[in-house]
Amino acid sequence: MSTTVTATSRVRADRRVWAPYVFVSPFFIIFALFMLVPVGAGVYLSLTEWAGLGSPEYIGLDNYARLLQDASFGVALANTAFYTVLALAVVLPTSLLIALALDAKGLRLRNLFRLTYFMPVVLSPIIIALIFGLIFDGRYGLLNAVLDALFGIPPVAWLTDPTLARVVVVVLVLWRWTGYLTIFFLAGLQNIPRELHEAAELDGAGVVRRFFAVTLPQLKPVTAFIAVTMLVNTAQIFEEPFLLTQGGPGEATLSISMFVYRAGFQRQELGYAAAAGVVMFLIVFTLGRIGIRAFGVGRTR
Amino acid sequence: MSTTAPSRTPGRGAAAPDRALRRRAPRPARILLYVGLVALMVVYVAPLLWALSSSFKDRSDIFAFPPRLIPDPATLDSYTTLLSTQPFWRWMLMSTVVATASTILTVFFCALAGFGFAKYEFRGKKLLFDLMFSSMAVPFAVIVVPLFVLVAKLGLANPFFALIVPWVAPAFGIFMMRQYTEQAVPDEILDAARIDGCSEFRTFLAVVVPLLRPALGALAVWAFLNTYNNLLWPLVIVAEPEYYTVPLGLQALFGAEGRQYDLVMAGSILATVPALVVFFVLRKQLVSGLTAGAVKG
Repeated sequence: MSTTVTATSRVRADRRVWAPYVFVSPFFIIFALFMLVPVGAGVYLSLTEWAGLGSPEYIGLDNYARLLQDASFGVALANTAFYTVLALAVVLPTSLLIALALDAKGLRLRNLFRLTYFMPVVLSPIIIALIFGLIFDGRYGLLNAVLDALFGIPPVAWLTDPTLARVVVVVLVLWRWTGYLTIFFLAGLQNIPRELHEAAELDGAGVVRRFFAVTLPQLKPVTAFIAVTMLVNTAQIFEEPFLLTQGGPGEATLSISMFVYRAGFQRQELGYAAAAGVVMFLIVFTLGRIGIRAFGVGRTR
Repeated sequence: MSTTAPSRTPGRGAAAPDRALRRRAPRPARILLYVGLVALMVVYVAPLLWALSSSFKDRSDIFAFPPRLIPDPATLDSYTTLLSTQPFWRWMLMSTVVATASTILTVFFCALAGFGFAKYEFRGKKLLFDLMFSSMAVPFAVIVVPLFVLVAKLGLANPFFALIVPWVAPAFGIFMMRQYTEQAVPDEILDAARIDGCSEFRTFLAVVVPLLRPALGALAVWAFLNTYNNLLWPLVIVAEPEYYTVPLGLQALFGAEGRQYDLVMAGSILATVPALVVFFVLRKQLVSGLTAGAVKG
């Protein structure tokens, strides 16, 4: 009798040893097949010249040397950096501010506000690009009509001026993501133990002091999450410039993802596209890791 | 509105009593607050209403200047032309099938892996978790070319396989489920299930999954929308028009000569309606489930 019990419990214990490996294995199988292998293959392809037919021809680091001299790639890098830095610089304070407003005591219609701001996450980038294309159109756009009617401002070339076009791309990014990220800040605010605020208040800390001494430090993990999400998303930006401006005027809004798409799938330079992908991987991955480490996102408790 | 993630922090469960502790803002500040929030609402709602209004305009009126806020004459031409000249319902069917299949698999795999990471100690756990987490920072641009080559060369270019299988175990979903499982599933209940003779997998299905329901709903919406709205990968991998998804079909119209704004507008509206409905139905779970992981480190 007792032997059966120990035997079963040993079977149980064994199961508990291998069960977690089974549970996490689907991820690692998919990860290996559709991420590790492609990254490895991408590194290999980046050392070759290949139009997709026949076999890739090994050319060493030529693709990378060519990237260094390719003005388009430089523009794509600079544009992507512009999108990422501007989006991060605006989205962090803005979504925190909105979250603070939504957390205000006795606020009516809180759910309605939050839901409205959050809604763009369900929209496809196509409809977003389409709508904003109509709104920012230099000749027929709604915005220019409104500006003209209200302030008598002459038409602004939102999509055909290089700098403005870049800014409009960021506006699309912000419109799409700010409300989404706000709900994370709001959840973070609601998760701060009220004892902390009470204690600080008893110690005579004012509203501003409490914000910097209690609220901000407590929001560190959620801030990190938001920053890393936004960084990784914006660094890969594709749909907004692709649909809104096709990378133009000229190449003023070209992003790295668009560069890779263009090289690989419109010009059939698969090796060259892979090399651009590898460079992007190094940049995004390094920045992402730095961000994750600096803030300790996702650390195991 | 009090429901964020189930939290271990005491006293924060019900929002009402602790909100009462904070002083109400003075009247001018409150007015300013509402003005700001309503203005922001306009920023979010106006573009959508504009799109809706434009979809009922006559083709030549979409770009009328000055723009007409209310369509006059109002017409369903954009919709009828779209539906009669393009296989729009076929795109919808394709999108829905792909997104649904992908969502079911994603929710299952993420919940399972999240449970594994949250409730077991095992050798190499930290390394595996870090590896999983880091994969979120791998940009799609680096894998898109080789993945295309791989999928095409391996003869896996079956659109259903290519659109679904590579994306059914996203790291964000696993991270989210692990965070939620840690908070929502007490160890005692797992031990109780084991003493009752449940296998580990049976414990997962019978005990853990019901406790995860809010997060599963959120993950499902997130996964569905990701696939439903995805453009770049279908653009790369799907060559035959009969397998077009909605974004692909609309992109083809949008990219075509003369940019068929009217048709794309109507199609976008039609495609957005189901997404909005799902969003409204599951809004509470979506917010609490999505934010569960990120709030605490």
